[in-house]
Amino acid sequence: MRDIIRMMVILTVIGAVSGLTLSVIHGLTKAPIEYQTIKFVKEPAVKKVLTGYDNDPILDRTKITVGTDERGNPIELVVFPAKKNGKTFAVAIEGQGKGFHGTIGVMVGVSKDGKITDIGITSHSETPGIGSRVTEEAFTSRFKGRPVTGDIQVDGISGATYSSKGVMSAVNEALTSVRKFKQELF
Amino acid sequence: MVSIRSEFTKGLWTVIPPFRLVLGLCPTLAVTTTGINGMGMGLATTFVLIFSNLFVSLLRRFIPTQVRIASFIVIIASFVVIVELVMQAYFYQLFKVLGIFIPLIVVNCIILGRAEAFASKNNPLRSLADGLGIGLGFTLSLLVLGSIRELLGAGTLLYYSATAPGFHVMWASFEPFAFMLKPPGAFVALGILLAFMNLISQIQAQKGGGR
Repeated sequence: MRDIIRMMVILTVIGAVSGLTLSVIHGLTKAPIEYQTIKFVKEPAVKKVLTGYDNDPILDRTKITVGTDERGNPIELVVFPAKKNGKTFAVAIEGQGKGFHGTIGVMVGVSKDGKITDIGITSHSETPGIGSRVTEEAFTSRFKGRPVTGDIQVDGISGATYSSKGVMSAVNEALTSVRKFKQELF
Repeated sequence: MVSIRSEFTKGLWTVIPPFRLVLGLCPTLAVTTTGINGMGMGLATTFVLIFSNLFVSLLRRFIPTQVRIASFIVIIASFVVIVELVMQAYFYQLFKVLGIFIPLIVVNCIILGRAEAFASKNNPLRSLADGLGIGLGFTLSLLVLGSIRELLGAGTLLYYSATAPGFHVMWASFEPFAFMLKPPGAFVALGILLAFMNLISQIQAQKGGGR
């Protein structure tokens, strides 16, 4: 009996100490990990859709709460502002849409006068060579200069209809947020 | 002092993990597509090995024998998570490449093997030397194996990322031997290295009068 209690106590102590240490380290590395993820995953797309800024959009990113999920936790939207002389003249935000395989993430740049500057695909798992053609400039440039006032329809790529529609719904999701939170964004 | 040095140096040749013990082959074969990847994996393993050896050795009198394996696994897993978080925070590209193989260090039999066979029976100083030696031996093996595969498979050395492409050492008309970067290439490279090490040992034994 004493042996069993001894085992339980020692295992509990080891587990508790290790859990405590890990939670401290998790807290310390949380901010750098978030920065690294954004830098390597989102930065290329942000750089593509925003031009002519003199700040670091990654560092100046802000979060706005766009609603709550079914558990009541806030859903946050990350906004990357492009500033010149301290004034925001365009923002990049990410929208998601359902493609042929899984989710397509699209970074959408919107200028202050309500036009799309450019879009860039951040993540997708479309078929290489077929659906993946939506990442090419020939398709993404079709969104350039479109007004954000309504939902956007562009010509899809033949043979990649679902993927094209996925990108459009991702763009329109982002634009819905832009229209809804225009006051906070600029 | 002599014994501590021998605990350290044995890991570099006589029991060098992937070649002599032929242990820990999963990461050895899977991540050594470039020298830097191999080295990163090796260093992550070394870090875990040093600290798990140290703590297992310090706690060896407190841990009841019946639950020792469970305790060792908790200690090892904690250090693996630390490595994973730190790597994700500061070496993101390496973290992306090594991916699932970082959490899999928990079940690397080199580490549990050293904890069970060595650190749980020896004092902290010797365990530390043992962990450092075995870890560096493992790192060195992975670096060599990775560099050979990278050199033949891509013609470069010390490639890290698109912004730090290392050195292009092969001549211009060199056609990369892409087979070396595939898993079978890893087995072939490992086999050839093993054969070389056995050859060297044999020659040494003959010189030393069949010792």
